[in-house]
Amino acid sequence: MADFEIKDLRASVEGKEILKGVTLAINKGEVHAVMGPNGSGKSTLSHTLMGHPGYTVDGGEVIFKGQNVLALEPDERARLGMFLALQYPVVVPGISMTNFLRTALNAKRGYDGKDKSKQVTPKEFRSLLKSELEVLHMDDSFLPRYINDGFSGGEKKRAEILQMAILKPEIAILDETDSGLDIDSIKFVADAVNRMRGPDLGVLIITHYTRILQFIKPDFVHVLVDGKFVLSGGPEIADRLEKTGYSEWAEADEPAVLKPEEVA
Amino acid sequence: MGFTLQGVEEIASLHGEPDWLLERRRNAFDVFERLPMPSRIDEEWRRTDVSGLDMAKFSEFEHRNGAGPAEALEGVAGTVTMRGSEIEAVRLDPELAGAGVVLEPISVAAKTHPELLETLLFTQVRAERDRFAALHAAFFADGTFLYVPDGVVIDKPIVGQVFSAEGGTAVLPHTLIVAGRGSRFNYLDEYLSPADEAAGYKSGSAELFLGEAASVGYVALQKWGRNAWHLADQRARLDKDASLRLFNVTLGARFSKTRVEASLQGQGAEAELKAIYFASGEQFFDFHTLQDHQVGNTRSDLLFKGALQDVARTVYAGLIRIEKGAARSDAYQANRNLVLSDHAKATSIPMLEIDNNDVRCTHGATVGPVDPQHLFYLRSRGIPETTAKRMIVQGFFGDVLERIPFEHARRLIETELEARLG
Ligand SMILES: Nc1ncnc2c1ncn2[C@@H]1O[C@H](COP(=O)(O)OP(=O)(O)O)[C@@H](O)[C@H]1O
Ligand SMILES: [Mg+2]
Repeated sequence: MADFEIKDLRASVEGKEILKGVTLAINKGEVHAVMGPNGSGKSTLSHTLMGHPGYTVDGGEVIFKGQNVLALEPDERARLGMFLALQYPVVVPGISMTNFLRTALNAKRGYDGKDKSKQVTPKEFRSLLKSELEVLHMDDSFLPRYINDGFSGGEKKRAEILQMAILKPEIAILDETDSGLDIDSIKFVADAVNRMRGPDLGVLIITHYTRILQFIKPDFVHVLVDGKFVLSGGPEIADRLEKTGYSEWAEADEPAVLKPEEVA
Repeated sequence: MGFTLQGVEEIASLHGEPDWLLERRRNAFDVFERLPMPSRIDEEWRRTDVSGLDMAKFSEFEHRNGAGPAEALEGVAGTVTMRGSEIEAVRLDPELAGAGVVLEPISVAAKTHPELLETLLFTQVRAERDRFAALHAAFFADGTFLYVPDGVVIDKPIVGQVFSAEGGTAVLPHTLIVAGRGSRFNYLDEYLSPADEAAGYKSGSAELFLGEAASVGYVALQKWGRNAWHLADQRARLDKDASLRLFNVTLGARFSKTRVEASLQGQGAEAELKAIYFASGEQFFDFHTLQDHQVGNTRSDLLFKGALQDVARTVYAGLIRIEKGAARSDAYQANRNLVLSDHAKATSIPMLEIDNNDVRCTHGATVGPVDPQHLFYLRSRGIPETTAKRMIVQGFFGDVLERIPFEHARRLIETELEARLG
């Protein structure tokens, strides 16, 4: 029994069937890459795993720590140890990054406004932030700003990884964290993720392009086409996609590497 | 006492009011007798139902009562405390008194400063407006008079607090503020009674006169008990280059109707009108606002933000009026409503009356639930739903809240939001 098991997961969006039976077992300590062309259902998978209300589960189960997490609310899943770095991080006006991060960390530690001993101390919070900001090459001018408000694409993605670093999940799903990033940002993000890698963390890294996999080496690669895995194996699959793109799956004839002019 | 001519005379003689004021009360009483109760045929009252209000039931004045002492306010330049209809205490920093600042009960100032009060009192908040305004002008119990002389700058706020605790009575305080040329200060009115206080009739109107280049912050924070009827007017007149920052905070009462109006009478005048309201349970709030640009080169910026939950209802109707000669004026108006339950309902009605083409004018209204993407994002980080909603509502009010110039009032609002959002 793996640490995190997705079994025959089927899901739909607005009545349209998208995930058609996804099965995947992730152990802590492993990095799995899910690759697939646009519209293959990658974000549907990530959102469904996290319990986004816009996605309907039609069947299957996801077992983590002995529970079917599909029956849990998104915040319960997070407190259990799951994390999703969104492909399109949300701007939430009126709430500062600091307040957001502190509240999330307190929630993770089970602080419900009563038992002060569980509350993160200002000192601990500051030093935690400081070291993680450094790794991500972010400065603390982010912190008083509203959540993702006015952040550039790269800043938003880095802020997602900052949240991951602070919340220390056991299962992290990174949904196209690399897309829209320049090469420096990709390196910072990869550094941060590589630092967190270890026996306490399982990673599901979702990507269209092979580029980020040069920096975060996966143990396993799975190819998702039309809501199903069509191929699973080791890192050599990424190399194969690098050459042939998704052309093996006729209706998905897209390259899996960026054109030179797309590499910023 | 009752809402009778005899009642009018009793109040006036109790305070030993001068003849001009008794006369003014009598005239208002005539208007009160003459005007009918507004009905839903009147445009302003189309969505606002006062048929359940029997004013005669509340015609006793609330006297100073058993409510405990007010918490001592810190960091203030002066305070006026009223219990029910009676002034309990007036305090003013002696240095300010030395500089000519006057902070007195209206009943006293009517005698000590007739030259100001006789010319100004009830000239902005006029009895003729409707039966409730007339009732207020005829029977207002007492209230605050603040005069800040030309050029005087007061750093700390001055705070008026009206406490009520009895219910079943009328509590009718009035505020009159006169800001001399170039003066600068902040004044707050807080209207407070326990949430479970029995039904009563409450007003709490304010008239503000801003002299040339005066800069005034005014806050009216209404947190009467949840059974009260509250009907009030807040109206400011701005002379040349004057600037007003007005904040209306409406949290209490079962029924609350407030008119917030700025009359821009001098070139360069600038009015910022902001509101925070939160309606829960069966609360009903009505706001009618007016940005009246009478001359050119004037600017007004209105932002009313409200949250509703349970089966609460709110009505916002705002008029921007730009008169013929008021070229090169800017007017902005926005009403934003966050509807937290399927059974709550917010209505928003913007209106424009523009007689000059050389102006800039925008208005907008939004009514909608918490954005599910926002909620999901916060929850995906482990933040429980109630906490996430509370953060979103606090964030929604944040830009207005943080500008309220008095920590005590901000805290009072935050505490109330937290209590209501679980
Ligand atoms: N909110 C939505 N409303 C309607 N269709 C959606 C929505 N989200 C995704 N889809 C559809 O589901 C399919 C899979 O989308 P998605 O999971 O976002 O793919 P990927 O992330 O692999 O690009 C696409 O056909 C897309 O159009
Ligand atoms: Mg996607």
